[in-house]
Amino acid sequence: MSTKKTNWIPITMLVISPFFILLAIVISVLYGTKDISALTAWQAITEFDPNNVDHNIIAGSRIPRVVAALLVGAFLAVAGAIMQGITRNYLASPSIMGVNDGSAFVITLAIVFFPGLSNYQMIILSMVGSALGAGLVFGFGSVIRNGLSPVRLAIIGTVIGTFLSSIASAIALFNQVSQTVSIWYNAKLHAVDVDMLRVAIPFGIIGLLLALFTSKSVTVASLGEDIAIGLGQRTKWVKALSILAVVFLTGTSVALVGKIAFVGLVIPHIVRFIVGVDYRYIIPCSAVVGSIFLAFCDIISRFINYPFETPIGIVTAVIGVPFFLYLIRTKGGEKSA
Amino acid sequence: MLRSNRFVLTLFVIFLLTFGAFYLHITNGSFDMSVWDVIKTLLRIDPNPKHDLVIFDFRLPRIVIAMLIGIGLGIAGTVMQGVTRNGLADPGILGINAGAGASIVLFLLLFQMKAKHITDGSWTSTMMMPIFGFVGGALAAALILIFSRKNGRMDMQRLILTGISINSGFGALSMYISLKMNPQDFEMAAVWMVGSIYNANWVFVLSMLPWIVILSVIIYRKAHLLDYFQLEEGTVTSLGISVEKEKIILILCSVGLISACVSVSGSIGFIGLMAPHIARSLVGLRHRLIMPVSAGVGMFLLIISDYISKTVFEPSELPVGIVVSIIGIPYFLYLLVKSKA
Repeated sequence: MSTKKTNWIPITMLVISPFFILLAIVISVLYGTKDISALTAWQAITEFDPNNVDHNIIAGSRIPRVVAALLVGAFLAVAGAIMQGITRNYLASPSIMGVNDGSAFVITLAIVFFPGLSNYQMIILSMVGSALGAGLVFGFGSVIRNGLSPVRLAIIGTVIGTFLSSIASAIALFNQVSQTVSIWYNAKLHAVDVDMLRVAIPFGIIGLLLALFTSKSVTVASLGEDIAIGLGQRTKWVKALSILAVVFLTGTSVALVGKIAFVGLVIPHIVRFIVGVDYRYIIPCSAVVGSIFLAFCDIISRFINYPFETPIGIVTAVIGVPFFLYLIRTKGGEKSA
Repeated sequence: MLRSNRFVLTLFVIFLLTFGAFYLHITNGSFDMSVWDVIKTLLRIDPNPKHDLVIFDFRLPRIVIAMLIGIGLGIAGTVMQGVTRNGLADPGILGINAGAGASIVLFLLLFQMKAKHITDGSWTSTMMMPIFGFVGGALAAALILIFSRKNGRMDMQRLILTGISINSGFGALSMYISLKMNPQDFEMAAVWMVGSIYNANWVFVLSMLPWIVILSVIIYRKAHLLDYFQLEEGTVTSLGISVEKEKIILILCSVGLISACVSVSGSIGFIGLMAPHIARSLVGLRHRLIMPVSAGVGMFLLIISDYISKTVFEPSELPVGIVVSIIGIPYFLYLLVKSKA
């Protein structure tokens, strides 16, 4: 637990991460269904020629895609880290807690009842949905006895998530917009909308800053409510601010690429395992590790079923599920329930 | 004495309710028919080809399948809850549906069977579907058993958690496989994975009937064992019952039931959760009594849900799995709120 001694580990991580991020960007930009030479890619950035197909692929599709992957990876991982810290629940994460589903639910309503909303409005609605999902799950969690224990919360989250997505698909089917909606539902990173990306970045950054701002308080909160109050923390404010950060981060992510499971669950665990229990390190490290993880998952998703794209949700699940099972095996059981 | 009276009364009420649901389902739809029309058609008095088509090709197979699936899921749910001693266990939540579903999607891909025109496909391939499903379902069950054991006992928490992860794992697998299909089959596979029985026909009925009948009988003969499992493990062993063996037989039988259901309708959750709970609150704690009531409740719930799914959004259809979860989840949450511990 001697966090002071191991300071160099998170700092090393943060220092070497730009190298991996750069690597992910380079691979992601150069390889895909159509191989494009490094020189062409460079020209696409420096002297863009709108009549050149390759240039258009680079600037209109590959760069936005890798940027989105890096950002969403960071957003989801940080959201997961905060949720795990605040709830002291090792299973907390945006996908398990119904936050993603809440977001997708509200977006379905918006597509059906208010078609033609601007990207700004969509992102705000997506955040409203995140708040709705989180609110329902936490609401039930606090009403039910032991409801905030890992297992119960996971069950409640899964069930409420299923409920919201069932209603959403019923509405979508009835109004015959299932296909439009499924573009939001199913993580389609490869079809990321450039305008949406531009709009989303500021919201996500606000979320990240909020997360960094609360990171110290999250560490205290993760010691338990009594200790936090004993140390003079205003726990309600910390919870409110950190939930706000989660809402910003996941709302933006779903609006950008849809529901991506497991990033928010797995990454904070790996990071905590490496850097220890201090959220001032966990949060920034989760951000970089999440970025790199999702960017590489995205690269893998292009080649599993080459030349066809595979939804990235499949890749993250393939990596996430075994890890989840491992967590259950080592950490699960009565003690943590 | 009193209890058995109550049991008979309960079954009778369920029978009446099911009959009511049957009546609604067979007379209503995009083509309304009078009772007299239905009776005439069924009894072959003055047959009318239009009525024949609606009743025999569309509504009747669909109702029969809904009944069989309700029975299968109701019994399978009772077994799962009894064996795991956990009232929250459900084939859907435990991921057995997803396991069976993934291997059936794989089957559809391998044999390039047009899910839409299943009657044109060979009979043998339809009959094979439950078997394929069984392999996937058994795999999921095996994973659950491996990961939820702790010091030789099944651990409740781990059980549910393993189920959640198996669910998403097999879900991703199904999605991956279904992407390799041609677009038309994919759309069918997607609807089918949510749980839907609108493409019912008699071949499906035949493919699942033997599974439901044989396995239900086997499970019912072993139902009293589920009572013993509620006791402490040591006590049961001292009664001379080989607990582990019996548990595994029971689990495999219910995986068989689930696979037969999933091969026809896709994944329908929450029936296996709700029906046993309702049955237990109606007839008490003995599994010999719970099981038939649970089968009956499952049957009723599924017919009525299917009726809702075909009529509410007329002329478009809602997959019945969605109706079931919209009805079932509030009930599940109610159970959680009410439960102690």
